[in-house]
Amino acid sequence: MTETATKFSYTDFVLPANTVSHLDLARLVTELERIDNEMTTTAVRTKAGTKKRVARSTHSERLDAFLLANNFKLTDSRKRTAILKQLRLLKDNAPTIHMTFATEADPASLERLAQWLRESIHPHAVIAVGLQPSLVAGVYVRTPNHVHDLSLRGKLTSSHEILVKELETINGRG
Amino acid sequence: MALFAKKQSIDEEMAERERQFLDETFKEELRNHARLYFQNVLKENGEHFKEALTSTVTDLNTELKSHIATQFDGALAEIKAELKEHIAHQVEAQLSEQAGAMKEVQDKALADITQSAQDLEARHQELAREFEKSLADHEQTLDSVFNDSKAQMEKMKDSHQLALQWFSESVKALQEQHEQLETRLGEQIEAQKEMTLKTFEGNMARIVEHYLLGALGDQFDIKAQLPSIIKQLEANKQAIEDDMKL
Repeated sequence: MTETATKFSYTDFVLPANTVSHLDLARLVTELERIDNEMTTTAVRTKAGTKKRVARSTHSERLDAFLLANNFKLTDSRKRTAILKQLRLLKDNAPTIHMTFATEADPASLERLAQWLRESIHPHAVIAVGLQPSLVAGVYVRTPNHVHDLSLRGKLTSSHEILVKELETINGRG
Repeated sequence: MALFAKKQSIDEEMAERERQFLDETFKEELRNHARLYFQNVLKENGEHFKEALTSTVTDLNTELKSHIATQFDGALAEIKAELKEHIAHQVEAQLSEQAGAMKEVQDKALADITQSAQDLEARHQELAREFEKSLADHEQTLDSVFNDSKAQMEKMKDSHQLALQWFSESVKALQEQHEQLETRLGEQIEAQKEMTLKTFEGNMARIVEHYLLGALGDQFDIKAQLPSIIKQLEANKQAIEDDMKL
């Protein structure tokens, strides 16, 4: 029973919407490592019969959401260790999509975009956010092998010929 | 002579008269008178004598002068003749002496001149031979130079002909090139014009874009753009998905 419970892969993990970037995943791993250390220490002390009470560690919203989304409990040390291991693997292998915006992206919008990406493209996709004011509006998406210029600047550039034709028409050369 | 004769007669007359009047007083008177007379006579005679002497001296002078002149003329003539003869003799002797010396000198000079003439003739002959030889050499050289020049002239003429031919061909080719160049230049100018106009229009489009971007900048936040972004992502969903699978 316990063995079955610890046999899972990071590919089965569900990433919550508030885990947007690769940095968020790294923070998640760090936090889980800290909690794992604390709980292991507590368990050892309890076994050793230490009377001193250990304060319960607090979880971040990101970790809570992750645990809730995957229906995990951290009480079992073996499962905790397995989650930690798979989470590290997920951190190293999660596909990153670079998204550059014209203005500073707010967390809610990023969560919405991450959600769409995980539903439509890849369940473990994370976003690397960039800022480029010259884009004016829209987004500049860079996947591992391609770029997709969905910005207003890109639109204008692609519509350049049309604008030239319009100017020619105005000049009476069309 | 006549003067002496006259004086003698007067003395005799006086001696006669003196004897007639031998009285002392008379003699005295006579003596006085004679003295006076004698004085007068002496005086007169002195004057006469003086005059005669003067005249005689004058005559004598004249005669002497004449004689001396005659004698002098004779002597002079003689001296002149002698001198002339002597001089002539001397001159003749000197002339003969000088003639001998001159002859000697002339002979020597003649011998020298003859020698010089012979030397000169020999030299002249030698020079003539050298000149002839030199002339022959020069003629030969000139002939060869003339022949060379002639050959070169022929070559130059050929080259000139070839150059003229090449030049006319070049001119023709140049004219053709010029025409082609003119055509190409016209075409290029047209193309350049077209390109400039296109560039201008492109730049104009960029200017329009620039002003548009400037006007729209900072007008949208992500939240406002989100539906549009998701819509565009949906449109490119397949491409992104395929890229992630690679």
